[in-house]
Amino acid sequence: MNQHTVKAYGDELNQITAEVARMGGLAEAQVADAIDSVARRDIALARAVVDRDVKLDALHRDIEKKAIRLIALRQPVASDLRKTLGAIKMASDLERTGDLAKNIGKRALILAESEPMQPLTRSIERMGRLVSNRLRDVLDAYTAAELDRAVAVWQTDDEVDEHYNALFRELLTYMMGDPRTIGACTHLLFMAKNLERIGDHATNIAETVHYEITGDEIMGERPRALPTPDDESPTPNIVTDAN
Amino acid sequence: MKFRIFRAPEGQNGGGDPTERPRMGGDVLPEAAAARADARVEPRMEDAEPMTGPTVVDSPPVGPIKIAARDVSVFYGDKQALYDVSLDIPDKTVTAFIGPSGCGKSTFLRTMNRMNDTIPGARVTGRIAMDDEDINDRAIDPVLLRARVGMVFQRPNPFPKSIYENVAYGPKIHGLVTAKSEMDGVVESALKRAGLWEEVADRLQSSAMGLSGGQQQRLVIARAIAVNPEVILMDEPCSALDPIATARIEELIDELRERFCIVIVTHSMAQAARVSQRTAFFHMGRLVETGDTETIFQNPRERRTLDYITGRFG
Repeated sequence: MNQHTVKAYGDELNQITAEVARMGGLAEAQVADAIDSVARRDIALARAVVDRDVKLDALHRDIEKKAIRLIALRQPVASDLRKTLGAIKMASDLERTGDLAKNIGKRALILAESEPMQPLTRSIERMGRLVSNRLRDVLDAYTAAELDRAVAVWQTDDEVDEHYNALFRELLTYMMGDPRTIGACTHLLFMAKNLERIGDHATNIAETVHYEITGDEIMGERPRALPTPDDESPTPNIVTDAN
Repeated sequence: MKFRIFRAPEGQNGGGDPTERPRMGGDVLPEAAAARADARVEPRMEDAEPMTGPTVVDSPPVGPIKIAARDVSVFYGDKQALYDVSLDIPDKTVTAFIGPSGCGKSTFLRTMNRMNDTIPGARVTGRIAMDDEDINDRAIDPVLLRARVGMVFQRPNPFPKSIYENVAYGPKIHGLVTAKSEMDGVVESALKRAGLWEEVADRLQSSAMGLSGGQQQRLVIARAIAVNPEVILMDEPCSALDPIATARIEELIDELRERFCIVIVTHSMAQAARVSQRTAFFHMGRLVETGDTETIFQNPRERRTLDYITGRFG
């Protein structure tokens, strides 16, 4: 892309993009640390995640303010306009991601007081890793303007759903087997749901990146997780689409 | 346990403050991005090779075509100013020509009522057909052509006569109206259509030079429509006007579109976006891209168009 004739205009656009990328880095770290704090029962880390969320909120407000200022003063069109609107949309997706990570951190604080449940936290960890990977991929796609990478993230959201469904069943089995674990398992279940939603936000971001680059919406059906025919146990997250 | 993928670079504690060093992608730090932007040598649009490929037509115009230009080239002496422009201009539509200075948009506009005839050494090749009739045909009288194809210029150019005479002049010399009472009606209706009647009704006999710039421009438009033209060409009609006068002209253009085929050359891209339904982008004497205004300003297909409308050159 050529440079703007008005240098300050280009600089402002770059600044907004850089800030979204920075916010993305922070949100990704928040998710990673939240999962870490669950896995390691690390109270200090969990607290740090909870406390740090205000930074994401501040960045979100700042990006919005800058974007609105740019629209008012520069009247961006075409790709510049998409970039500006994309920044607003991504900032709110990342802000929500941060809220969900913060919620995981809060639950990690509570879980740290009860008995450890190794196999379950490991499942959460695996799902967390998957979601965090997707978030990183889509943010990389954003900074490098790589269309293929964004589309790849968009197409693989069903992996997260499958993880979530499996985890749901696993937790159900635990709770039925030992009702004393219901409290802790419910927290884990909410964590899984939060991760699933973070996955949805990553998908949203992929759509935003696609629109920013091409000016068109992603066409076609996104693959969905479906229950296996011989599967009798309840599967959440099939009918409802939190996206 | 910690995930390797989440790990900070060696020597950094994972529990540290990630806001200081975002661990994503590698080059998301604003300092790094800024440094990179500075280091990059940007290509400049001004240095670009002239486009030689065919014009990109995003979508053909809908409705009847008023003017069809085919392979129109214009030479001023040895210098070629316009290269093989082919463009369909639909009737009852506002078509905007945009492009940097010297791109050929005004030159092309002037071919449509043979204004280039008046320039010594100017030569036009190719075919321009209005309603399937070649306007460069020897049988066509340029004076009569210009009655059918009116023109409004950048600076308002009323005659140094009364407001009434300015509007009545065209119908009179073309012999369209003879009776005084009939002429009164023609003048009134033209001034009304140009949105000027209310302001000048009580001083029709005073000099047109006493009007404000915006009023003069509307008077010139009234003069152009008084002879019932089919096409109105406008060469930057608002560039000498303030924003309010500009808004009134734009409103007028929008009303006139119901009856006329309007072509407007403008340097204001915002204006092109506001008033036109079709846009044609010229660069270095060539028509680069044409399509619906919405497409041109949202998602143009040609890189040069994008660079121009986003303010990256010009």
